[in-house]
Amino acid sequence: MHELSMAQGILNAVIDTAESNNATEVTEVTIELGRLAMINPEQLKFILGVLVENTIVQDAEIIFEEIPVEVECSQCEFHGNAILDDKDHYAPMVKCPECDSLAVEILNGRDIVVKNIVIEKPDDN
Amino acid sequence: MHQVADIEVAKNIMDANKRLADKNLKHLEEKDIFCVDFVGAIGSGKTTLIEEIIDNTDYNIGVLAGDVISKFDAERIESHNVPVAGLNTGKECHLDAHLVHHGLHDLPLDDLDMVIIENVGNLICPVDFELGSHMRIVVVSVTEGDDTVEKHPIIFQTSDVIVINKIDLADAVGADIDKMVADAKKLNPNVHVITSNLKDGKGLDEIIQVIQDKKDSL
Ligand SMILES: Nc1nc2c(ncn2[C@@H]2O[C@H](COP(=O)(O)OP(=O)(O)OP(=O)(O)O)[C@@H](O)[C@H]2O)c(=O)[nH]1
Ligand SMILES: [Mg+2]
Ligand SMILES: [Zn+2]
Ligand SMILES: [Zn+2]
Ligand SMILES: [Zn+2]
Ligand SMILES: [Zn+2]
Repeated sequence: MHELSMAQGILNAVIDTAESNNATEVTEVTIELGRLAMINPEQLKFILGVLVENTIVQDAEIIFEEIPVEVECSQCEFHGNAILDDKDHYAPMVKCPECDSLAVEILNGRDIVVKNIVIEKPDDN
Repeated sequence: MHQVADIEVAKNIMDANKRLADKNLKHLEEKDIFCVDFVGAIGSGKTTLIEEIIDNTDYNIGVLAGDVISKFDAERIESHNVPVAGLNTGKECHLDAHLVHHGLHDLPLDDLDMVIIENVGNLICPVDFELGSHMRIVVVSVTEGDDTVEKHPIIFQTSDVIVINKIDLADAVGADIDKMVADAKKLNPNVHVITSNLKDGKGLDEIIQVIQDKKDSL
């Protein structure tokens, strides 16, 4: 529900990095999206599409990669990737794959990370 | 001619908020202040609970009252003679650590031993934004439907205390309190689940006790 401010943060990070590398154009942006971030990838993509207009990012392909949800189970001490039960949730139920418990501590899977960008820039000489 | 380069950015968009949350916590700890933040659905009873805590404890409390655009909650709390800073989120659906940081500077921190934050009524967005508090309490009420807990798992998994409020209205709305408690325990077995009726004070002592226990444990 806060896709706009997230999109703005993403675009700032992309443009900062592109400019400090003398980019004339950004052709690809890869974003890692935690499965538990309260962000809808489709909405994020839509808003990014609006914000990039008239910037060097405007023709970039936006690629999303999912960050899996890493947990530690407080029932059986399993540590690793959780099972996500999202049959009736957008925000999924996070379960231990070993013992099915929901009593897990979430260690990873809530972040949004701008991973890398592909840019075009003038030849060095 | 142009050359193409693949450049690592590795920028976590959530980090800016986390860093500010850490800074808020540091500010609070420098002044020996305990901070609890209340999240919950719209109208679940967050402000009522904060008013009851103010009236029934001896803490020197300051309040940060989050609201999308209005000041009603800040005014309500102010009438209990405690310092209040209202935080308007404008278009946003949650408080973030930056707004809270400004709010902390608007409170007379030297005179306080507890800061209470009321988040915007929302069971979804606050999950993404730590504020720098020591403890998060989620308040839901039976009138939102007895499937509220199972519908929003993550906020219950990441809170320290779950208050199920307005149990006086359970029969009227056909809500099964035991189911809500069971759902909450299933999601977070180590959490305190407290049922309350803030109109007659039921559950209030227990809520105050868990806050005191957490404060003592630090
Ligand atoms: N019957 C009953 N009413 C309650 C109880 N607790 C709060 N209320 C009422 O519920 C209404 C909403 O309470 P608030 O404390 O304003 O709720 P809130 O969560 O702060 O609401 P927002 O800040 O708008 O999200 C008020 O009219 C309260 O008097 C309760 O235990 N039982
Ligand atoms: Mg309120
Ligand atoms: Zn939001
Ligand atoms: Zn397990
Ligand atoms: Zn500022
Ligand atoms: Zn400061």
